[in-house]
Amino acid sequence: MASMDAISRNLMLDSLKEYAKRRIPYDLIRELDEKNEFPAEILKEMYRHDVLGLHLLMVPAEYGGVSGGTFDIYRVCELLARIDLGIATGVFATFLGTDPLNVGGTEEQKEKWLKRIASENLLVAYGATEADAGSDLVNLRTRAEHVVKNGKIVGYNLTGNKQWISNGGVADLYTILALAPGGPSWFLVERDMEGFSPNKHEDKHGIRLSNTAGLSLDNVYVPAENLIGMEEGKGLLQAQAVFGYTRVMVAAFGLGAGEEALEQAIRYSQQRIQGGGPLSEKQGYTHKLIVPNYVRMEGARAYIEYTSQRLDSGEHGLQTEGAIAKYGASEWGNKAADDAIQALGGYGYTKDFPVEKIKRDIKICCIYEGTSEVLEMTIYRGRWQEHLKSRGRYYLDMADKLDQVHAEEPKAGAHAAALALRALAAVLEECRVQKLTRHQHVTFKLGKLICAAETAAIFSTAAAAKKYSETVRFDREGWQAMARVFAREAALNTALEGLALVLGAAEQAGNLADAVNIEAVQAEQKGMIADMDLAAAKLKQTFKAK
Amino acid sequence: MNIVVLVKQVPDSTEVKINPETGHLIRAGVPSIINPYDHFALQAALELKAKHDFKVTLVSMGPPQAKSVVQMGMALGADEGILLSDMAFAGSDTWSTSYALAKAIRKIGKVDLILAGMQAIDGDTAQTGPGVAQQLGMPQVTFCEKVEVDGRRVIARKQIDGGYEVLEARPPVLLTMIMTKDYTPRYPSFLAVNASLKKPFHVWGAADVGAEEQYLGLKGSPTQVSKIYPPPQREKAAMFSGSGQESVARILQIMRQEHFIEE
Amino acid sequence: MIEVSKKCIGCTKCVPVCPFAAINMIDKKAVMNEACTLCGACVQVCPVQAITITREEASARDFSGFKGVWVYVELTETGDKAHPKKIKPVTFELLGAGRKLADELGEDLCAVLLTDKNHNYEKDLGAYGADKVYMVEHDELFEYNTDVFSTVIVGLVNRHKPSSMLYGATIQGRDLAPRVASTLYVGLTADCTALAIKDGLLLQSRPAFGGNIMADILAPNSRPQMSTVRPNVMKMNEPVLGRTAVVVRESAKLDKSLRRVKVLERKIVHDAGAVKIEGASIIVSGGRGMKTKEKFKQLEELSKLLGGVVGASRAAVDLGFKDKAHQVGQSGTTVSPKLYLSFGISGAVQHIVGMKASDVIVAVNKDPNAPIFNVAKYGIVGDAHEIVPRLIEALKNGK
Repeated sequence: MASMDAISRNLMLDSLKEYAKRRIPYDLIRELDEKNEFPAEILKEMYRHDVLGLHLLMVPAEYGGVSGGTFDIYRVCELLARIDLGIATGVFATFLGTDPLNVGGTEEQKEKWLKRIASENLLVAYGATEADAGSDLVNLRTRAEHVVKNGKIVGYNLTGNKQWISNGGVADLYTILALAPGGPSWFLVERDMEGFSPNKHEDKHGIRLSNTAGLSLDNVYVPAENLIGMEEGKGLLQAQAVFGYTRVMVAAFGLGAGEEALEQAIRYSQQRIQGGGPLSEKQGYTHKLIVPNYVRMEGARAYIEYTSQRLDSGEHGLQTEGAIAKYGASEWGNKAADDAIQALGGYGYTKDFPVEKIKRDIKICCIYEGTSEVLEMTIYRGRWQEHLKSRGRYYLDMADKLDQVHAEEPKAGAHAAALALRALAAVLEECRVQKLTRHQHVTFKLGKLICAAETAAIFSTAAAAKKYSETVRFDREGWQAMARVFAREAALNTALEGLALVLGAAEQAGNLADAVNIEAVQAEQKGMIADMDLAAAKLKQTFKAK
Repeated sequence: MNIVVLVKQVPDSTEVKINPETGHLIRAGVPSIINPYDHFALQAALELKAKHDFKVTLVSMGPPQAKSVVQMGMALGADEGILLSDMAFAGSDTWSTSYALAKAIRKIGKVDLILAGMQAIDGDTAQTGPGVAQQLGMPQVTFCEKVEVDGRRVIARKQIDGGYEVLEARPPVLLTMIMTKDYTPRYPSFLAVNASLKKPFHVWGAADVGAEEQYLGLKGSPTQVSKIYPPPQREKAAMFSGSGQESVARILQIMRQEHFIEE
Repeated sequence: MIEVSKKCIGCTKCVPVCPFAAINMIDKKAVMNEACTLCGACVQVCPVQAITITREEASARDFSGFKGVWVYVELTETGDKAHPKKIKPVTFELLGAGRKLADELGEDLCAVLLTDKNHNYEKDLGAYGADKVYMVEHDELFEYNTDVFSTVIVGLVNRHKPSSMLYGATIQGRDLAPRVASTLYVGLTADCTALAIKDGLLLQSRPAFGGNIMADILAPNSRPQMSTVRPNVMKMNEPVLGRTAVVVRESAKLDKSLRRVKVLERKIVHDAGAVKIEGASIIVSGGRGMKTKEKFKQLEELSKLLGGVVGASRAAVDLGFKDKAHQVGQSGTTVSPKLYLSFGISGAVQHIVGMKASDVIVAVNKDPNAPIFNVAKYGIVGDAHEIVPRLIEALKNGK
């Protein structure tokens, strides 16, 4: 659905920010992280209609909600991640748990359950994952057996075990994926149903404020009207339908947490004096630990917004785009958080400073909602189809568009992005010609290269636009410098890694070295340090030491 | 009673920075907020509304994006919102701003009580409130900590040096509010923000309120900004760092040198 | 008027520099919106000089008849037969600043005094520099009231036509001055930190954006040009005993009905014996870095040993370490003691604005980059909790 106007959205974000300032101070978060404790009262309070009513974003207005679009939810997720990724996960799990209903429920089911979720502020959990079915839901073992009375199916008995379910131990309502005779299907299970019991709260590396628990279902009886959609076998399709959307939410997590960690480092670096001056003035520091990371996060932002806008304008699916957004933001965010610890040195390594916790937390973004490896594969598969369908023109057409962008706005790095895309097209074509995609390693690596190259294209296009999204915190000069840095890196990596990939899998690379245009890619690197200097200066200006 | 609350959108002045090399203001990335003093005035108005079922109308003068503070007020409970926005207001100082606001309030009609924040944190002048009161011919009470209504009497507690005064006025009267523990400004829930979109909101230009050009903008403003510059840089202090004992010795040495204690 | 010529190349350098977010790029050209105040920041950065500001000619109004630098005399709130109201020190500070302006302009420095009963105030006013005192003595002036006082002053101004008028930026001044300025349709500049004469006009300098920038203000078409100044910003001159001011008695017709706001109750909360930090010559001040109310109390002992009073930053007051009467800063009190000794105060702009006029500032803070070290004369990087107790011991034992 369409997103709201910027003013309303930002008012909501301000209210959430103020709430967190008041009720979720860092000292509390640190204490809960230490104790591995889920802040039940905070979650409940955030759901109160007269406080925030956070969950209402997921519920359509006709059922008592606020109908947030993808863009709105991305912004809320980004902000929640800055506050605490565990709390963000707790909120996200409710969103995720309501998805099967939103996507597959009958009108009666939506009416009944969405209204209840909205008005009773229910915490929901999404029960799909099992011990042997994580990335691969096909190995689903939880079964749903028919309960028949007078020749009619009146209900189902659910038996099985779920693992690592966010909100598993604390939800009021669960959407459980189980294998019914007709195929995988979603069932609504309430906490107090007989035979249903959550297991203990896991002791995790990060997102310790998020309650994660296994679920035991021992002949849990659910009435037939609790089968979502009233039709068996639609479960996997219903799950996949929202991937584009849920991946964007986790991408927003990576973005929020990653930038939060970097901003801590940027502020710190202005106060920390070593070697006769603040660290913020030292290129060896900024151009290694800060600039490249922040630039990638802004690339992730541009891609998230691009995907959100498409979903909000009515397009469906976009699973590959969602995968690119999530993979990029989570991998780059993870690296950013790691470098943030390094940037704070000894202080970063202690719990007094928030970056080590962010690093522990953000790792989950590379694991849940599709591991990075699964997403590499997903990205590859989606785009490989496009490459074949278009007879190799997919990325070339994209590059042509970027040439136009460059002609109108030469300072946004569109030319470098076009080089990346053309190199990508050449690599894909060589892989096709030499049948190199029989090597799984090649396909996964291609997924990674695709993510960077496409993000560069989107970032440069956004940086060339007349007007920037209200989320961009830099002036034109600054954001364009960042887009240029990103695009150069993407062009370089696509050309060199792509070439190396092919050489590693094949006897020879044909004329790929020419086709990826290494010369032009190298020439394009000119100005890199100057742009990094500029980006460092803008970052320092925007995130001044407190 | 009809209450009007004057609100302003301001840059978060704690975030406004000067570029040390060029001496220019850096506005990129500085968030805009509701003027904190106005936020208190708004809370005071909403508490009166809750108690007496008064009507609360918000009035703000600013560019189109200032709708944000008006909508925020409506989300918190105000009944109606008005944004005064027009190129003709460009460059208005406090006098011209008061003039335009007064015109808008006249257009609203019967207004019994006007609440405004004591000052805006960008200009810090505290002049607009009294200016509006004067142009409307109303009495004023500034530096108010709390306001109550008893029948047709407006009772205000005003801060004075070392204490407070309790004053009484008959409507119409204008009060400017300072920030104290008497009120806790709120932030709207998501539902409330959504609901605020349904409340009446108007954008009025100079012509709509009958504001004459000669009194507006730079031409109509009696004060002009001649120059802006960063505050003077001072030389950094003579620094010392050592153990607790050494630091104490150093402090004592300074005190003797500067004759605050005897040699 | 502000204009952007064809020379504009759309480089956008002007956009981030505008303090009022008044510039947008439309079709690659800078376009100013209604927030523009003609401050000229953009003119300075434009690399191709595409922006020009033209100010209107001063109106044809004849200002030559407006002469005299006026200072509003503020009396303390309470008084009785035994203890008449006193003139507040800020008035003498304004006379000090006003004297310079009057001398430069070659005009008289006149005090404006509204009271129900004169108590030889002209002696002090004259001693501190006033040439004249316009005095209005009337029963209705027994207590400050916006409507009553502003009516009188507007009348005096219309009759005697001063070129400029100064008020203390006190609670009373900040209530009165804007009312008068609005009535007269003249320019008023609040919280001036400096006043000078430039081309015959009053050049008024003041902080804005919470002290992050300074602005110079002119009111070329206003007479009088009006300013408010906070206490402890200007320096009063040494009083010249015996220097007399000429008293000009003015009458006023004041009806009780003018007093539309009535005082029901007045309560002084802080006991009369409490030392006000405003006048103290030694202040020992603590901030968030003192960590607890108990540790903050040590500063009481320290200040007593030094013969001073305790101050607090806004953070310390908000945390409950000390009550608001001791708050130093923009939303507290402005002080200018001989010694300002701070512990655990980082020096946020809002605090510095309230104490930077101190003669000697000694700051103690754990963080070597705390901004307070930029205004302090002496800086000590250290832990207040290690230093304060030891300092107290040392002072007790006679060093």
